Formats: sequence, structure tokens, C-alpha cells
Amino acid sequence: MFPFVKKKDKQQSNYKPINKKLATNDKYIGQLFSAKINSDFAVREIVARYSEEKVAIYYYATIVNGDKLYKGIIRPLLENVGKDLKEVVTLESINEVNTFEDVVEHINSGKAIIFENGNDTAYSVDIAQFQERGIEKSENESIIKGPKEAFTESLNTNISLIRKRFHDKQLINETHKIGERSKMEVNMLYVGDLVNGEILKNVKDRIKNITADNVRNIEILEQHIEERPYSIVPSILYTERPDNAASYIEEGYIVLLMDNSPACLVVPITFWAFFHSPEDRYLRFLFGNFTRIIRFIAFFITVFVSSIYVGISTFHSQMIPPDLLLAITSARERVPFPLILEVLLMEVAFELIREAGIRIPNPLGPTIGIVGALILGQAAVEANVISPIIVLVVALSGLTSFAVVDVSMNYSIRISRFIFIFAAGWFGMFSLTGAFLLWMMYLASLKSFGVPFFSPLSPGYKSPGNNLFRKIVKKEIWRSGNVQPKDIKKKQTN
Amino acid sequence: MNTDKTLKTKELLAIILLFIGVKMSDSTAAMFSQHAQNAYWLIIVVSLLVMLPPFFLLLYLLRKFKDKNLIELIEHLLGNFIGKFTGFTIFLLSFALMILDSRNYVEEIKLLYFPESPTASIFYIFIAVCFFGAKRGFETIGVTSWIILPFIKISMFFLGFLILGQITWYRIFPIFGNGLDVILTQGIKKASIFSEFIILTIAYTSFRNTKIFQRGSKIGFALVSFELVFFFLLYALIFDYNSIEKLAYPYHDITQFVNFGDFFTNVETFFMVFWLSAAYLRFIIYLYLIAMIFGYVFNVKEYETLLLPLGFITVTLGLLTENAVINELYLRETLLTISTPVFVLLPVLLWLTALIKGDLKRS
Repeated sequence: MFPFVKKKDKQQSNYKPINKKLATNDKYIGQLFSAKINSDFAVREIVARYSEEKVAIYYYATIVNGDKLYKGIIRPLLENVGKDLKEVVTLESINEVNTFEDVVEHINSGKAIIFENGNDTAYSVDIAQFQERGIEKSENESIIKGPKEAFTESLNTNISLIRKRFHDKQLINETHKIGERSKMEVNMLYVGDLVNGEILKNVKDRIKNITADNVRNIEILEQHIEERPYSIVPSILYTERPDNAASYIEEGYIVLLMDNSPACLVVPITFWAFFHSPEDRYLRFLFGNFTRIIRFIAFFITVFVSSIYVGISTFHSQMIPPDLLLAITSARERVPFPLILEVLLMEVAFELIREAGIRIPNPLGPTIGIVGALILGQAAVEANVISPIIVLVVALSGLTSFAVVDVSMNYSIRISRFIFIFAAGWFGMFSLTGAFLLWMMYLASLKSFGVPFFSPLSPGYKSPGNNLFRKIVKKEIWRSGNVQPKDIKKKQTN
Repeated sequence: MNTDKTLKTKELLAIILLFIGVKMSDSTAAMFSQHAQNAYWLIIVVSLLVMLPPFFLLLYLLRKFKDKNLIELIEHLLGNFIGKFTGFTIFLLSFALMILDSRNYVEEIKLLYFPESPTASIFYIFIAVCFFGAKRGFETIGVTSWIILPFIKISMFFLGFLILGQITWYRIFPIFGNGLDVILTQGIKKASIFSEFIILTIAYTSFRNTKIFQRGSKIGFALVSFELVFFFLLYALIFDYNSIEKLAYPYHDITQFVNFGDFFTNVETFFMVFWLSAAYLRFIIYLYLIAMIFGYVFNVKEYETLLLPLGFITVTLGLLTENAVINELYLRETLLTISTPVFVLLPVLLWLTALIKGDLKRS
């Protein structure tokens, strides 16, 4: 009825101060954490030697390091003497806590809280040990030449991986808390004297404005902070490579990290970021640009090959050289479906194989290859359901789609492909060109955190010239001007 | 971050090259060759020369009265009532030109590639694409133009290169075709085929700064003139005086002539794709600028909402003409002749007013 009154109440209960009596505190904490039924919530009560007072330690047994707890807290409390608790406990990080809200938050994030009888301050000691994977090779963005490390699900490890690559006193790691129920940390990494203030503020505001009970990881965060949730094109880069992230930080971009995600988000972003692979820069100038050309061709083929085939063979067959035309016609002679249906059938089939391939349990993996290749490649053709040329076209468009490295962009491309097939089936090249132009204009009109999608190519800015092709490393003088860094000069020329 | 006006010279150049450069591939050539036969390319030169002084005069005035676009300048100089009237006249003329021209392009697409489809459906698709494109805003138009421009121009000059083997230089003679007087009268009468230059100044303040427009439009003028004259001359050299008269779309006739080696012999669809993107972009720009003119004349701030009604009117009025021949050789030609004095004399009128009012001295 009165939401504001309610809110106030809630806040008050959150900020309940700590009582001096240990028994009262103990009872309250027991209520907060449902200690009686919550099996891994642990309480250890001892009498501290230095003060001869009763002391209670609260923690989740499953997320703390037991060894550290014993050696760094329990044993010192039992044996050491000193002026106050801070002197007795020998662990590196110990903080004072005054409200129960903080107590709850600290226990949840793997800290042990020490309550002392007769003291209205509690102490929080960091002994967290969450289980996690080790650092492994990057699986989804693999490269041949260059560092192989990938992010892992631990925030601290990830930050360490970035700091390892970029030694700068201005590399700032700013933390924000999000989530109403489960408080999670979002870490923003950026170079303080490079990043554009307005973009930074924009990102911060978006993170602060999240009103969700729980944002578990980066993947969910991406959807909370993006500008166009319904858009076909992503506006945030998701990468699992620390070297890639570090190279963006160096250019004045912002990297977002969270626990529980083996990747980071990079904002703001342009089309080129989805098109590039970090290896382009690790390879020598000529080789790097060669892979760029190949990838550009792959990009083009995967989007257009099916639709151009539909458009040309349905509406502009005069364009096909006679021999080829005869080959196509004879192959299609006994196929009952119209051409566009045939293409759609195969494209959908390919998407099915792809989806099944991702979801299939590992031991069954090889089966899908056999079934896919056999049924679609051979049986369908022999049964005259589709013509062999379609298999070729769809295989080509499917294969080349793997050259689009970024997961989100990959989906954009695959969805666009279907749009173009329908367009081509409608009025041939006339409607296909129109659809392409509109698609292009849609992309050109996009902005990621205020940065135009095709910049710095157009609208033009000073930039390292790293769009479709890249320059030699020595000639990269400017940072990307489209993100308006505070210091645009990358290299001091003399 | 200031992201309102990010367009620079290159985007303006792209806009000019697409907005006006595409004329080389439509039926403008056919319209002129009716009168001057193989010397029709000289008409373009004359028209350009006629349009040059007013255009530069207008640029001069725009420089003097900073941060005003065409309509604002007219209203500033001619007063509210006459200014609005003049602005509306310009809107009407350019809109009518656009309607006839778009019908022209639609007929071109229909005749060449979809002879069995009804004109109306092609017209609706064409304008729908233009509408959705223009709806994305001027900045997007500039960016897209710049990104697509290289592909379009490379394909066009590639075509020019492929056809070079078939030209005969002697076909340039008789140099004045049907006579110098024909060329001169036609060139002066039809100077308004370059009315786009005047229309373009409505976007004077839409670039990062106005210096960009001053410089870019001059470079653009030079480039477009070169391109048009080059291609028109090329057609004359390929087809000679007799057949040029009978051709409706020389550009597309050329695409049917050329081969890529012995294997790819019918490559017109390849060129058609690039030509189509150019045509789409031309009318996206046209539609947007016209909506802008209307918006400024009638103080409609949200002029992008006018795109839909204007686009729809374009289709409905464009479909009224019975066929392409009447549309091009009668209606468009007449309209061009009527609108020439308006577009040529407008800058002069503005300049005289400014001179008499003494505005030029003060600033």
C-alpha cells in the first residue's frame, strides 16, 4: 500500500547494529542464516586467551579454507596474547564490521566473522576458497600464434591475468555491487587517464540502474546493460582471451569482469571488433592481413551465398554461364521442391546439426557427424529430395560461418542469412539488394554506448587504421578516436 | 560525447557522388541524345557551366550567413512570406522531379529485369526500401554511402575499363552533332538536371562544420562533372549517332555488351546489383532532403515523420503516368525546362537581395 514506507522498514532491518552481548547476536545470526537447518553454516565458539572472553566465529564451511581458519584464526585466538583482536589474528586481511547487513554479505562471500562478547564490533577475516577450474587454453577463440591462456571462472584470477599483461599504475579496478538478494561484484577495469569520462559514466549508470534480484554472471549482465535488447546485432564484445581484453584496455575501452564467467565484456564496441581476431595482430603484417581478407570473404559468403544462389537461379538465370546452367538444371530435374524451399530445407537442416552438435553429450559426438554427413549429404540427394548443388551451397555457407569468431555475431549472421534468402526469393536481386542496403543502414545507425558501429571508418576519426586491414605496428600512431580517449597519441613520433 | 554531427568531407563526397553521379546510368542520356545525337555529352558540359555560377554564388552566400541552410537563408533574406513561398516552390519542383525520376528508375528496373512484374509492386518495394533507409537518419545515410561507394564506383569504372576496347574515337565527330545551337539551347534549358546541387545545400549545417560543406561540395562538383562527362562521352563513342538515339538506358546496354573472359558472358546482373544500391541510395538521399526542405519551410521539427507520407505520395503520383516514354521524354523534359530558371535564378535573386539590403557588407 505504501511502498516507500515498506522500503524504509526494510532498510532499517538491514542496518541493524551489532549488539554487545554475544548471546543476542548469536541468536539473531542463527535466525538470519537458518542455522538449524542450513547444514554447512558453521559456528565455532571458543574462549580467547588474550581477553578471556567468549568469541564466536561464523562461516560457511564449504567456501572457506579450513587450514587457514585453523592456523590463522582459531589457533592464534587460543594461544596468542595481545592488546586487541586485530593484533591476535595474524591473517593478512581483517576488517571491522558494524551492521548485520555487512555481516551477512561477508559471510556469503566466504569470509569468517568473529564476534566477541562485550564488543559491538565484529571482525571479518578473508579466508574464502571457492572451488574453480585452473587456467586452461582458450577453446572458443583458439589461435596458433600468440598466448593461449583463457579466463577462468574466478574473478581474482582473471584480474591477475589482465594485470600480468598491462603494467600501468593507472589500470584501475573499480567494483560495483549489483543484485538485491544475492550481492555480486562487477569489476570495471580501465586505464584512468585514457578512458573517456562520459562513456565510463554511461557504463556505471547502467550497472547502477540494474534492478534484479540476482545477476549471476557476465552473460546475464550483458543483457542487463545493453542498449537494444531486441536488436539482431550485439553491442558488447564477449571474449575469453585476457590478451584481447588487455589490448582493448590499452586503447581506452572498458572491460567488465564478474565471478563465475570464463570471459569478460568489452564496451563500447564497433563492428570491427567482431570481425577481428587477436591473432591478426600477432601475425606479421602481410600474414595478418591475408587472414583478414580470407575472413572477409568468408563473412561475405556465409551471409550471401545461399541468397545469391536463390536470387540468380530463380530470377536471373541468364547470368549463369550455359554449361553451369545446364548442370544446375539437370541436377534439379527430379527434385520436387521449388528452389527456395530446397535451400531453406537444407539451411534449417544445417542449423539443426549445429544445434544438436553443441548439445549432444560428448560420448555421442561422433554419431552426429556420421548421421549429418550420411543423411544429408548422400541419402537426401539420392532420394531426390534435394539437388547436390544445394548441398554444396549450404555446406559452403555453413562452413564459412565458423570464420565469424564471436558467438553473438555468429548468431546475427546466421539470422541475417535467412532474411536474405527470403528477400532473394521474393524479387531476386532487386529485393536482395534492398534488403542488404537496409541491413547495412541498420548496422550503420547502431551505437554502442554512444560510439557509431562502423567508426572509425565512417564517421571518420583518428585511429590506428585497424578496420578491414591493419597497418604495420610501427605506423600505429593513434588510439581509436571513436572512443575518444583522453590521450589519443599511442606512440611518440619524433 | 558529441555524436550529433559526425559527418566529414568524405561522407559528403560519397553523398554527392551517389546523389548526382548515378545520373550517368539512367535515361538522362537518352533524353539528351534525342536532340543532339552523338554530341549530347556536350549538353552536360553546357548544363554544368550554366549551373556552376549560381551554385558557387549560393555557396558564397551560405558562407556569409553562417549556420543557415538553404531554406533558412531564403527566409532570412526574402522575409517570411516571400521566403516561405519561394521555399515551397523549390519543394514542389524538386519533389515533382523526384517523383518523375523515381518512376523512371522503376521503369528501368522493370524493363530490364522484371518485365512481367507490375510496375506498382516494384514501385512500392523501391520506395519502401528508400523510406526505411531514409528513416535511419542523415548520419546513417552518409556512413552507408561512404561504405558502399567504393564498391559502386569500382564496378562502374571496371565496366568502363572493360568496354574501352570497343570504342572508336572518330565517333566523336561531328563534334557538335546536330549543331552548336541545339547543344547550347538544350544545355541551358535543361540545366536543372543539376538542381540537386541546389537541393543539397539544405544539408549545409548537417556536417561537422560548414567548412566541410564548402570544400566537399566543390570537390564533389568537380568529381561528378568528370564522371558524368566521361561516361556520356563513352556512350557516344560506343554507340555512335544513329543508335544512341534509340537507346533508353545506355549504361545497361553496355553491361550487356561486356564479358569477363569467355566464361562469364552475361554479367549484367553483376553490375545491376551495384547500380541498384546506388539507385536506392540516390532516392534515400533525395527523399530525405526533400522531407528536410518541407520540414524547414513549414517549421516541422520532426521532419523525419514526413518521410512516410512523402514516400507514399511519390508512389501514388509516380504511378499516374502511363508509360516510361511519356514520363521521360515529355513530362520530365518539360518539368526540367520549367524548373531551370527557378534554380538558376534563385541564388542570383538571393545575392541581389543581400546586396541591396547591405547584409553582405556588414558581415
